[in-house]
Amino acid sequence: MDALLSALPLVADPSVLLAILVGSLIGLIFGSVPGLTYSLALAVVLPMTFQLPTVAAVGMLLGTYIGGMTGGSVAAILIGIPGTPSAAATVLDGYPLARTGRAGLALGTAVLVSTFGGLFSLAVMIVSVDFVSGIAIKFGPAELFALVLFGLSTICGLAEKSLLRGLIAGVIGLLVMTVGLDAIDGVQRMTFGSTAFLQGVDLLVAMVGLFAVPQIMQTLIDWRRGREIRLEAGDVRSEMPKWSELRRNFGVIVRSAALGTGIGAIPGTGGPIAAFLAYDQARRFSKNKEKFGKGELAGVIAPETANNSVTGGSMIPLLSLGIPGDPATAIILGGLLIHGLTPGPLLFMEHKTEVYTIYLSIVVAYVAILAFQYFGIKLFVRVLRVPPHILSVVIGVLCVIGTFAIRNSFFDVYVMMTIGLLGYLLMRARIPVTPIILGLVLGPTLEREFRTALILSDGSYAIFFQSTAALIFFALTILIIAFHFIGQTRARRAAPNAKASIDAG
Amino acid sequence: MRSFGVATSWLAASVAAAALIAVPTAKAQEDFPTKPVEMTILFGGTAQTIGQLLADLMSKELGQPVVPVSRTGGGGAIGYSHVHSTRPDGYNIVWNSNSISSGYHQGNLPFNYEAFEPIARVTVEVPALAVRADSGWESLSDMVEAVKSGETKLKMGASGQGSFTDLTAKALFQELGIEDKVVYVPYGDGKAPVELLAGRVDAAIQWPGQFIPHVQSGDLKMLCVTGSERVEVIDDVPTCAEAGAGDLDITMWRGLAAPEGTPQEVVEKLQEAARKAAESDQLKDASGKLGFEISFMDAQEFGELIAKDDEVIAELLKSGN
Repeated sequence: MDALLSALPLVADPSVLLAILVGSLIGLIFGSVPGLTYSLALAVVLPMTFQLPTVAAVGMLLGTYIGGMTGGSVAAILIGIPGTPSAAATVLDGYPLARTGRAGLALGTAVLVSTFGGLFSLAVMIVSVDFVSGIAIKFGPAELFALVLFGLSTICGLAEKSLLRGLIAGVIGLLVMTVGLDAIDGVQRMTFGSTAFLQGVDLLVAMVGLFAVPQIMQTLIDWRRGREIRLEAGDVRSEMPKWSELRRNFGVIVRSAALGTGIGAIPGTGGPIAAFLAYDQARRFSKNKEKFGKGELAGVIAPETANNSVTGGSMIPLLSLGIPGDPATAIILGGLLIHGLTPGPLLFMEHKTEVYTIYLSIVVAYVAILAFQYFGIKLFVRVLRVPPHILSVVIGVLCVIGTFAIRNSFFDVYVMMTIGLLGYLLMRARIPVTPIILGLVLGPTLEREFRTALILSDGSYAIFFQSTAALIFFALTILIIAFHFIGQTRARRAAPNAKASIDAG
Repeated sequence: MRSFGVATSWLAASVAAAALIAVPTAKAQEDFPTKPVEMTILFGGTAQTIGQLLADLMSKELGQPVVPVSRTGGGGAIGYSHVHSTRPDGYNIVWNSNSISSGYHQGNLPFNYEAFEPIARVTVEVPALAVRADSGWESLSDMVEAVKSGETKLKMGASGQGSFTDLTAKALFQELGIEDKVVYVPYGDGKAPVELLAGRVDAAIQWPGQFIPHVQSGDLKMLCVTGSERVEVIDDVPTCAEAGAGDLDITMWRGLAAPEGTPQEVVEKLQEAARKAAESDQLKDASGKLGFEISFMDAQEFGELIAKDDEVIAELLKSGN
């Protein structure tokens, strides 16, 4: 309590509040523009914090991180291109909502549940940091492999009508991520002897290509043929979510928040995995499954709650063990270190006040983002009044700038375009895009953890069956696949002439 | 006044054009830098943070911004290739490290260290070997004894194949003569310390900064550091050589380099800016917190060091595979 009281005036200082606000705003902007991510925002902000006093510097970094995580939903909902990988799952239902004029509802809900998720995970962190980090540390390569495999099983739910097509898509995603320098043996894979290929395919570059390029192409083709779909000005409402709607989805919110916090606490996972798992569980336990993917509000609520819960969750290993869970938290770690806050068990004893300033900064950042977004929604939805063919040109330009900026590499721009073209062809072949994203997100972790586990066990597969956590995730994976087949068989019996059954064959 | 200035520079340009534009004029070198200098950063994490700080400090010295630009990937190959392809005029420099040699000898780079003009070494980082505090091993020789007499192999956590900590681990165990009783487990993202804490590996080689918090909390113990001298912040930890590993001396340096053919005057200006930055309180302050040491070396000495280390790394990579 003493630490909280001494931290309060430190954070309430106007310069610190300003630093957090500036950070949050930068994060929001980077998060909402497709191609610019919070990792990039953090790299830009870090040098600015060198001159700042500790509390302001850390507040600014945290504001940027949180703003970026929340801002990802804006582009995902409005234009169907996720601003960050963590918002990929939000596109599934957020974009259809926007297409039917309910963008305001989706955006408003997203920011509310994001804030809830963030504060929930913060609360979990404050009361149980030692307990949770004790569990997180038990997740070795074998357990992580099992968890990621479980994540891949959600392809069943995302494959739309045909599991075969879903699996093809998933494998394409896994394959694309093997290009480049292999992280374990340092071997070149599918580089064709070129140095440029060594950097491999960046997740975000591939994602921007897959989401943006086919959409831009389709929009321009429709426009040429005079079949452009425009939203009338009256259709774009800045409607806000009602409490009754949130109450109805209370179960989804709490489950997603818990899931996000848990995933965030395990190093080596992160926002995208949490968001997809949350989406899948929301759909699985929903009464109106068939509405998912067509504009179901719970399909926005689940991923947005989960990816923001990751922020608090990832603070647990970061602060208590000094382990960054993803590239973004690695930059925050650098910022903490340079200001003399060495994460680790002693941080909570020697720098108690600073730890509380971190907690308070997170709260301030969320309040700021809630306010920015809430008042911004009326402005954001106006984007939809721009004729789609003009908007798509603007998006195209932003995507080129964004993909270049990630690693200052033109190779990445070509990769984005190539993958985008491939995405368009796949779309025409009715191969769903989402499983590709899942393969992209999970592929590198899946492979790395599998191989590391086998190195640890000297080649014995027994390592995967020796831990309870791994066994639980394997069992869940099998259950999900089994349920999928049972469900499909039933559907086929119920409607023997349905098109779905032909597709599945 | 302004139009006059433009007129003179126009005149100067015409004269320069007449005297072959491609050759940088002596005047241009004296004025260096007249525009921002781009510093390519090859890795994330500490490398990036120190690089950004150094760029910030050098900007103040040069009177022109030094802009840190991150070009990561391919174990440094992407960034080296970029700088290698730029004009040798000092406006493109790279925040380099021993990775130039490990990248080349692993076949990831089509050119070696000779494609770059050394500017200055700025920092060094020395890996440390750590074990769990409850392992019962008080010294390096305890560990070696246990491995020699034991049935099972020692599981050793470091970063991926060809990374600096991986090379260090291989050199250490070769020196100790127990390399065939060691399993090297590669971890990305600096996860090795946690894996050691959790008991999935028996020892780990990473940077001291990653171990220090866990040593202070009594969970881990550092047995030795791999350089030829002890590390200031942990001077109670012996060097591996002192602890019985022959004359092992492995240190990672970071410094600046420019493409081959960069004029000597320009290199000197950059070297002096780096020297001032290395002497600043700000870098000193950061070194204690981030866990690196400042160790300035001028272009001449730095060049000799790079050549010497290149041989060592070539040897290690040959025997390691």
